[in-house]
Amino acid sequence: MALIVTRYGALLLRAMGQTLLLALLGLFFACILGMIFGLMSVLQNKVCNIIALIFVDVIRGVPMIVLAYFIYFGFPYLVNNILHGSITLTALQAGTVCLALNCGAYMAEIIRAGIQSVDKGQMEAARSLGLPYWKSMQKVVLPQAIRTMIPSIINQFIITLKDTSILSVIGFPELVNTAKNVVANTFMSFQTWGIVAVMYLIIILALSKSAKVLERRLNVGR
Amino acid sequence: MLGAEHTGKDRKERAVRIHVSHLKKNFGDLMVLKDISTDIYEGEVVVIIGPSGSGKSTFLRCLNKLEEVSGGAVLIDGEDITDRHADINKMRERIGMVFQHFNLFNNMDVLHNLMLAPVELGKQSKGEASRSAMEMLARVGLADKANAYPSQLSGGQKQRVAIARALCMKPDIMLFDEPTSALDPEMVGEVLQVMKQLAADGMTMVIVTHEMGFAREVSDRVMFMDGGYIVEEGTPQEVILNPKEPRTIDFLNKVL
Repeated sequence: MALIVTRYGALLLRAMGQTLLLALLGLFFACILGMIFGLMSVLQNKVCNIIALIFVDVIRGVPMIVLAYFIYFGFPYLVNNILHGSITLTALQAGTVCLALNCGAYMAEIIRAGIQSVDKGQMEAARSLGLPYWKSMQKVVLPQAIRTMIPSIINQFIITLKDTSILSVIGFPELVNTAKNVVANTFMSFQTWGIVAVMYLIIILALSKSAKVLERRLNVGR
Repeated sequence: MLGAEHTGKDRKERAVRIHVSHLKKNFGDLMVLKDISTDIYEGEVVVIIGPSGSGKSTFLRCLNKLEEVSGGAVLIDGEDITDRHADINKMRERIGMVFQHFNLFNNMDVLHNLMLAPVELGKQSKGEASRSAMEMLARVGLADKANAYPSQLSGGQKQRVAIARALCMKPDIMLFDEPTSALDPEMVGEVLQVMKQLAADGMTMVIVTHEMGFAREVSDRVMFMDGGYIVEEGTPQEVILNPKEPRTIDFLNKVL
């Protein structure tokens, strides 16, 4: 154990940093995608609804590891060998896209459900005062929807954070990938995977505890 | 706002505010409004009664386009709200609406419920909006609740706040969709009192209600709706006390 910490501690911490970087980038774009497709699915517009539905169904229907291989290997192959273009993707770029798409689809569903959980009388009351649709959405519906969405969003953040480990398959030097190398060098499986598990645990506990504080703050007036 | 000197009798000399002609509304295969035509005049208080499912609420909701109409026309001061190019938001600013379930914005306190629309639509600065909101709250007897959240109010208080919120946009037409139906009996009076005051101030009002006493006392005209049609209309004396249509008689026997 001491050997792992002294000789590989810095390496594993750097890998944890890479895991966090990937997760943050992925979550950032996932939130944007989730917002766009979530709103598209509640609009009174058939075309938007169908586009959002297809996005969610396709992404949810493909395992993330397949999505990762497809984006990292399949997509450049399509561009370079079939379309005769030229593109190279780093593992970080491909990983971010993969996480953003995967988490974005689930976020879209959370946002759709959150918005639909707000009584439709709220929108009607806002519209009856002369407020335009988006203004009503922004000032009345979304603030209420977000309160109900927070626990699910945090849950999804945690899942996505853990899913970064899947991206070890495309060679991104995050925690799992790095730990594999450490084990290959030292054969100390128990110690290395134990340390890695504790590192994940610490990040995720920190995330879920701060989420609880946020939730309490948002519950004013309920 | 016009004074209280207007009564139902001279309504023919007054301006038509809402003109409804051959209004139809269906939800899928279900025809809710089959053919509704009527005029509502400046300062008139119209009460709509009828059994549940008769289309009263749907009719009311067509007047500010909360429901997309399926046929016919609704003109507010000569402007057709069913026209795709009509600026419905602008028109709704003049038409206040009060809902059965209050629909106060749960994410803000009472004061901000009242201030939201005037501020967001650029009608008033925050300071002005807050001042007039406080005046309006005083008018409905709830000045001390300005900083309460909707969840902290009783039903009657919520509905008075909802009326005040609508009035903050200075509408000259008010629509009431069963405003007392979700209230405990002891709270009905306080809401009707506020509505009576509005009627006395000359507000043009269209009210869907089951409060027959209120209808008799305050309204200029009572409409009885059933099966998607206006079956009978006239003064409260005519419709409530001396109904002619068998369906009206049948309904009134059940509710009175």
